[in-house]
Amino acid sequence: MTTEESFVERVGRTRRSRYTKHVLLCVVGAVMMYPLAWLISSSLKPDRLIFTDLSLWPSEWNPANYLDGWTALEQPFSVYLANSFVIVVLSIIGNLVSCSLAAYGFARLKFTGRKLFFTLMLGTMMLPGHVLLVPQYIVFAKLGWLNTYYPLLVPNFLATNAFYIFLMVQFMRALPKELDDAARIDGCGPFRTFWKVIMPLCMPAFATTAIFTFISVWNEFFGPLIYLTDSELYTVPLALRQFIDSEGQSQWGQMFAMSFLSLAPVIGFFIAGQKYLVKGIATTGLK
Amino acid sequence: MKLAGLSCLGLGLTACGRGFGGGGDGSGGGGVQLNMVWWGDASRAQKTQAALEVFKKKNPGVTVKTEYQDSGPYKDKLATRFAAGNPPDLMMMRMDSLREYADRGALLDLNQHAGAVDLSGLSGSVRALAAVGDKNFGVASGLNSIGFVVNRTLTEKYGVKIPDGNTWSWQDLATFAREISKASGKKVYGTGFEAYTLANLIVFTRQRGEDFYTADGKLGISEATLVAWFEMFQSMRADGGFPPAGFFENVGGGAEQSYLAKGAIASQIIPTNNFLGYNAAAGGNLVLLRMPGETTEKRRGQSIDTPALWSVAAKSKHPAETLKLLNFLINDPDASRATGTTRGVPANAKVATEVRPSLAADDQVATDYLIGLQKEELPRSYTYPPGSSSIASGLQSIAAEVEFKRQTPQQGAAAFLDAGRKALGG
Amino acid sequence: MSGPKAAPVLDRPVAGAEASAGPRRRRPAKPPQDRAGYLFLLPWFIGMLFTVIPFFASLYLAFTDYNLLNAPKWIGLDNFAEMLRDPVLHQSLKVTFVYTFVSVPLSLAAALGVAMLLNRGVRGLSVYRAVFYLPSLLGGSVAIVLLWRYIFGLDGIVNAFLGWFGIDGPGWTTDPDYALTTLIVLHIWTFGSPMVIFLAGLRQIPGMYYEAAAIDGASRWRQFRSITLPLLSPIIFFNLIQSLISSFQTFTQGFVMSGGTGGPANSTLFYNLYLYQQGFSQFNMGYASAMAWMLLVIIAAFTAVNFLAAKYWVFYDN
Repeated sequence: MTTEESFVERVGRTRRSRYTKHVLLCVVGAVMMYPLAWLISSSLKPDRLIFTDLSLWPSEWNPANYLDGWTALEQPFSVYLANSFVIVVLSIIGNLVSCSLAAYGFARLKFTGRKLFFTLMLGTMMLPGHVLLVPQYIVFAKLGWLNTYYPLLVPNFLATNAFYIFLMVQFMRALPKELDDAARIDGCGPFRTFWKVIMPLCMPAFATTAIFTFISVWNEFFGPLIYLTDSELYTVPLALRQFIDSEGQSQWGQMFAMSFLSLAPVIGFFIAGQKYLVKGIATTGLK
Repeated sequence: MKLAGLSCLGLGLTACGRGFGGGGDGSGGGGVQLNMVWWGDASRAQKTQAALEVFKKKNPGVTVKTEYQDSGPYKDKLATRFAAGNPPDLMMMRMDSLREYADRGALLDLNQHAGAVDLSGLSGSVRALAAVGDKNFGVASGLNSIGFVVNRTLTEKYGVKIPDGNTWSWQDLATFAREISKASGKKVYGTGFEAYTLANLIVFTRQRGEDFYTADGKLGISEATLVAWFEMFQSMRADGGFPPAGFFENVGGGAEQSYLAKGAIASQIIPTNNFLGYNAAAGGNLVLLRMPGETTEKRRGQSIDTPALWSVAAKSKHPAETLKLLNFLINDPDASRATGTTRGVPANAKVATEVRPSLAADDQVATDYLIGLQKEELPRSYTYPPGSSSIASGLQSIAAEVEFKRQTPQQGAAAFLDAGRKALGG
Repeated sequence: MSGPKAAPVLDRPVAGAEASAGPRRRRPAKPPQDRAGYLFLLPWFIGMLFTVIPFFASLYLAFTDYNLLNAPKWIGLDNFAEMLRDPVLHQSLKVTFVYTFVSVPLSLAAALGVAMLLNRGVRGLSVYRAVFYLPSLLGGSVAIVLLWRYIFGLDGIVNAFLGWFGIDGPGWTTDPDYALTTLIVLHIWTFGSPMVIFLAGLRQIPGMYYEAAAIDGASRWRQFRSITLPLLSPIIFFNLIQSLISSFQTFTQGFVMSGGTGGPANSTLFYNLYLYQQGFSQFNMGYASAMAWMLLVIIAAFTAVNFLAAKYWVFYDN
C-alpha cells in the first residue's frame, strides 16, 4: 500500500468496508438479541403457548403474567428487587475498595512475601467452589451470620475475590512505571500515589469490576440459597426459582415476566456504566 | 432515571433493616418455632401455607417457619445444613436419598415414637415405604404411582382404538403405537417415554418376577431383563411407533413442555399425581390407564409409591412438636383439604376418601386410580440403598449409549450391572 | 513522560518507554515497602479467614472418607488411588480438556476481534457493545435454557434451517456425538465478558502511539502487531489465565443443559459437574475434595506454564 493511491479510491474503500462492517455487526447482533426477544415474547404468552407457539409475536397476549408474577410469591417482587439491589450496591463498593487496595500492593509495591501471597491468591481461584461450601458454611454459622447478608457481603469488603484483584493488577502493571517514580520525586507516599495517580488511570478496570460485580452478584444463586432462610431476605434469583419445580408444576409465564423485569436493572447498569469503560489513558491522556 | 434511582434507594433502605439484624433466630414470643422445608413451586407453597394456618390455630404457641426451593437446589441446601449440624426439624425427603441420611443416623426413627405419629390409617405397603429393617425413617407425604396416559383426541382423529388399560400387554402397546404413527403419516408418534426413568424400569422388572433393589439393598435385576427392556425400545423405534434417538431432552420435566402437550406423541408414562397438570396441558382429553403387562406378565409390577417422604431430623430440638406437625399433615383431613393432592393422594386412606369430593375432577381420577390399586395385592418394594443415585445416573448414561447404538443392549446391560454392583458395594 | 518518538515505537513500543527513562539507568535502590505493602493487603489478610481456612479444610478432607453426615475418617491416599481407577472421572477429564482447548482460544479470538472492531469509532458503538454483551447477561439463566431446546432440538430451529438444504440434522443437545460441540458453540457466543475487558484494555493504550505510527505510514496490521498486541499483552494474558481457570471449572453450562446429569452418555460430564455429583448427590465429599485438589494441580500447572511463557510475550513496563 502506498500513499500515492487516489483519494477517491481510499474513501470508496473505507465506505464499503464501513458498510460491510455494520452489516456484519448487525447480523451477529441479531443472533445475540434473539434470546432476549424470545424471553420478552414468552413473558407475554399464556403458559400453554410458551412451549407450543414458536413465533416471537404472541398469538394470544397474557400481560397478566406481570401482575400475577409480581404478587405470586410470599413477598411482593419489589422486596426481592430491593434486597438484591442493596446487596449489589454494597458488594460493588466492597470489591472496588478492597480489591483495588490489594491490587495496588501486588502490582506496584515491593514487599517481603509478595510472590508467595500472590500465588496463594491465585490458588484460591483454582479450587472448585463446591468443596469450599461446607467449610465456609461452618465458618459463617460459627460467627452467627446465618440468615443475614453478612456472609454475602463481608467477604467482598475483604478482597476475597481474586478475579478482580488479578484483573486490576494486570491493568496497573500495564501503566508506565515512570508514573510512580515521578510521583515519588514529587514527594508522594504510596497512598497518595495510589489515590492521585493510579486510581484515575484505572477507571476502565474499575468500571469493568463494577459491571462484573453487578452482574455476578445480581445473578448469584448458590450463596443466597445456602445462607438465607427468611423469604423476606430472598434475592431475585432465589425468588425466580420459586416459580419452578422441575419435578412438578411451574409458573413459566410469571417466571419469564419477572426474569425480564429483573434483567432490566442489569442492562441499565451496563449501559450507564459503559461510558466509564472508555475513560482510559486514550481519552484522558497522560499528564 | 433519577427518580427510579431514588425510589430504588428508598426500597433499598427498607431492605437494609432486614438482613443485618442480630442473626435470624426470630423465634419471638417464647413459643416453639419449627423449621419445615420442602421442594416445590409457588402454588404448592400457597397450599402448604394454608394447611399450616390450620395447624397454628389448633396448636397455639407453635409457629412453623417454612422454606422451599426447586428440587435440585433443595437437595444441595439440605445436605449442607446437615453437614454443618444445622438441620431443619421436618423435611421433605427423596426416596433415593432417604438411606443416605437414615443409615448415618441423621433421621429420627419414627417407630420409637409410635405414640406421637399415628400410622394406623396407612396401608401396610405405604408404611413400608421408608422402613429399613425394624426402623422407620419417614412417612409418605402423599401417594402416587405411574400410569399410562393416552390422548383420546388423537386416537379418535386417527381412528385407532385404545386398548383395555387393565389388561393390555407391552405387545399391545407396540401395536397401538405403530398404528398411530402409521395413521398419522408419522406426524404423531404412538408413544414415547424414557428408558432411563427408574420408575418405569422398576415396574417392568417386577413384572418379570425380579426386584430392581432387593431386601438387602443389592441390585436384583437380571441382565436378561435389562436386555429385554432395551430391545423393546429398539424394536418400537424400528417399527416407527416410537420417536427417533435424541428426541427427548433433559431440560426440565413438566407437563407444559412435554411432547404430549405439543401433540407430537399420543401416549406416555406419567406420575399419576401429575395427571391434572398433563391433562390441562394436553387439551383435557387424556385417559389414564394402568401400565402394560400387569396381567400378562409373571406378576404385578405396579406399586404404590410416594413422590416424597416427610422425615424428622434426629437432631431436632423440638421433636415432640415436630411429630405433632407430622401427625397433623398425615392424619388431619383439614390438612389434606388445604394441600389437596400437591404431594399426591393423602397417604391415610380414610382421609383420602374424605377429601376426594373437594378435589378437582382430574385429581379425583388420579385418586380413584390409587384407591383402586391399594385394594389389590401388589408385591412390596424396598427402599433405595445408599449409593442409588449413582445407579440412576449410570442407567441414564447407558440408556443413551444404547439409544444411539454406541453399545448393543447386551453390552449396555452388562456394563450397567457391573458398575451398579460396584457402586452398591458388592 | 515525554512523547515517544515514532520510530522506536514501531520497533518495540516498550522500548519507547525505556528510552525515555534513559538507557539502562539504574533506578535508585528503593527501601523495601513492607509496611505500605502489608497495609494495602490488610483487608485481604483478614479475608483469608473466609478463603484460606476453607481452602485448607478441603485439603484435609481430600485425605478422608467424608460423607457429610459423619465425622471425616482419615484414609490417606485412598481417594487419589480411586481416582486413577475411576473410568467416569477419566471421561470427565476428557470432556473438560476438549472443551477448554477448543473454546478458550476461539472465544478469546472472537472477543479480541470484536473488541478491535468496536474500538475504532464505530457509529452506535455503545449499542453494539451492549448487544454483544447481552448473552453474557443472560448466561446461565433458567429461562434461557428452555430456549436451547427450541433451537437445538431434533425438531428445532437449527435443524429446520438445515432442512432447507436437505440436511437431516441430529439432536444437537441429545446426541452424544454433538452435545459437547453445541456447548462449545454456546460458550463462544458468550464472548462478551472478555470482550469488555479487552475494550477497557484497549483504552489504556495512549492514542499518541497510533498517531505517531500513522504519520510514519504504518499499516493497520503493522500497528496491531507493534502497538496493540504488546501493549495489550497484560490484558490478553489476564483473559487467557482467567478463561483457562474458569473453563477448567465449567459447571453451570453442563449442569443446566443436561439437567445435572452430564448426559447424554456422559458426553457433557465436566470434571466439576462430576465432582459436584460425587459431593452432593452421592455424599462422597472426601472424594470430591480430592478431585478438587487434583483439578487445582492441573490448573496450577497450566497457569505456571503460562506465567513462564509470559516472560517472552507479555510486556510490563518495569
